[in-house]
Amino acid sequence: MATTRAKQKAGSKADPVEGRDKGLLLRMFETMVLMRAVEDRMVSMYRAGDLLGSLYTGHWHEAVAVGTASALRQNDFLAPLHRDLGAHLWRGMDPAQIMASFMGKATSPTGGRDGTLHYGRLDLNVYNPPSHIPDNYPVATGAAFAFAYRSEDRVALAYCGDGSTSEGNFHEAVNIAAVMKLACIFIVENNQYAYSTPLRLQSATEGLAVKAQAYGIPGVSVDGADVLAVHDATVQAVARARAGEGPSLIECVTMRMHGHAEHDPADYVPRELIEEWQKRDPVALFENVLLEHGVIDAETATKIREAARQKAIDARKKALADPLPDAATVEQGVYAD
Amino acid sequence: MQTDSGQATYTYLDAISAALMSEMEADPDIFIIGEDVGQFGGAFKVTKGFLEKFGPRRLVDAPMAESGFTGLAAGAALAGLRPVVEYQFADFISAAFDQIINVLARHHYRTGNPMPVTLRAPFGARLRAGPTHSQSVESYFAHVPGLKIVAPGTAEDAAGLLISSIRDNNPVLFLESKYLYRRLRAPEPVPRDPIPLGTAKVVREGSQVSIITYGAYVTDCLAVAGELAAEGISAEVVDVRTLVPLDVETIMASVKKTSRAVVVHEAARRMGYGAEIAAVIAEECFWHLDQPVARIGARNTPTPTSPPLEDAVVPQPAQIAETVRRVATG
Repeated sequence: MATTRAKQKAGSKADPVEGRDKGLLLRMFETMVLMRAVEDRMVSMYRAGDLLGSLYTGHWHEAVAVGTASALRQNDFLAPLHRDLGAHLWRGMDPAQIMASFMGKATSPTGGRDGTLHYGRLDLNVYNPPSHIPDNYPVATGAAFAFAYRSEDRVALAYCGDGSTSEGNFHEAVNIAAVMKLACIFIVENNQYAYSTPLRLQSATEGLAVKAQAYGIPGVSVDGADVLAVHDATVQAVARARAGEGPSLIECVTMRMHGHAEHDPADYVPRELIEEWQKRDPVALFENVLLEHGVIDAETATKIREAARQKAIDARKKALADPLPDAATVEQGVYAD
Repeated sequence: MQTDSGQATYTYLDAISAALMSEMEADPDIFIIGEDVGQFGGAFKVTKGFLEKFGPRRLVDAPMAESGFTGLAAGAALAGLRPVVEYQFADFISAAFDQIINVLARHHYRTGNPMPVTLRAPFGARLRAGPTHSQSVESYFAHVPGLKIVAPGTAEDAAGLLISSIRDNNPVLFLESKYLYRRLRAPEPVPRDPIPLGTAKVVREGSQVSIITYGAYVTDCLAVAGELAAEGISAEVVDVRTLVPLDVETIMASVKKTSRAVVVHEAARRMGYGAEIAAVIAEECFWHLDQPVARIGARNTPTPTSPPLEDAVVPQPAQIAETVRRVATG
């Protein structure tokens, strides 16, 4: 099994958009811009005291969320975590519902029974994970198992972070998927920090893609700020999974630009590291590629950004006005009928 | 129902196996996953012969990863299947605790999606298996909303309750008494009719004292009640059968009739499930009681291996008889 740590940089090819579906590129860009706009709006909402608990954002994870989700079909199973808002948006999630989740509103996908990042909707084939990560990894293997069981041409893709790779569930899930040759794609979002713990205290390996070797599956490391690189690596892994060749692991290297959550100033992160990554904004990088290669013009780019900002503003208004759940329903639904 | 009869060859284990088999024949969405469940037929041979019949697609030998294959079952259930997970010993279920508590049990409340997963776990002591092969795990899980817990004490209930557990749209922890597996015998195959979860059963009628129990101790309590009848003490035995949901009505009706209650189980007494039953009796039947409720459970020690040590820890028939006699006549 070839494991490579060489960064694949599709976006740096002479013409990175050559031969690509322009409609898809546009939709990817719009979704990344919307993710940024919704999260920026929610940061304001957090500061204004509109949200119940803390706010987990995915600044600099936009290319990961969208680059992966855009490589799947709508009926593929997606098991995201807290920095993957763009993957939800790709599936058709309403930003107002996401905000409603952070506010405990009756209109959130859980009706306020769960909150914050726990807004996955099974009708969009998106799993709603618990806070224990990566508990979503074994669950994704189960979806892939069911697809194989029923001979369905569907795959399951799960996300986790660098910290998650230290958990037993990571090992058990990747190993099970490898042994059973399940149609799984495991994304590791290496954003350098698990809360305050830096990568060097998390793993003794150089990078995380190399872990795939231990399971006998391919592992690649890609530039997590380059949406086309993420997308291409995922397309390759999905093709392998659909061909019945089993799972793959993709490490997407990026940076967590905010704290673990908004309450966390992340003053344990060296300023130089933030400054270095500041130059590598995945949304701006992709916009430049699209502008340079004539997929969009500057006017269109501005329109897309403005439309996303307006959507986020409207979503906030809606979420603020949405009702809270009725306490009389609190015991309903502990058990299914 | 009889025990250790030379004539009867049909066992508690056979009943579980037959129920599993008939459910799998009826529903193609059911699969079994666990360690050594396929070609080996399971550590206790509950699934012996299943691989030949259903193939490796439906009899899945998993890597040694309780958390991993429990989570796999959750994902498969969300994708429309009806998994049955086998843990070799209930002791090993602790390795899957996180998935059971945080993924399976909470999912329906959080999302409204059904989570039809049956977790089969052989539990309990008296096999000289020692501190990490003899545990009663029911109390850890009874505290968790969203899980159902079943602990059959007879072959017939094992079959009927397993069928209902598999058909249930919730995660169900199905605790099989490994002590009863081959000790408890029936003269012929038991019926395979579903028995609703949440229904206790009066397994012996009596008028002076209610013995409330479940699992392996149903047999012991029936024997004690028979012994006490010879002394002129009329003991009623209630088999709780499912711990969650608990059939409070049947327990209340019995205690209101007898005005005396002894709760018996093999699990350690402190915070054992009997504490919940005793509390329910105190809340619902206090003014009907002629004696304080008595609780019998194992000592609050790990379960030791050596026979004299283990016998000193888990409840013994003589101890049960003495307590019931005291409560009934005091």
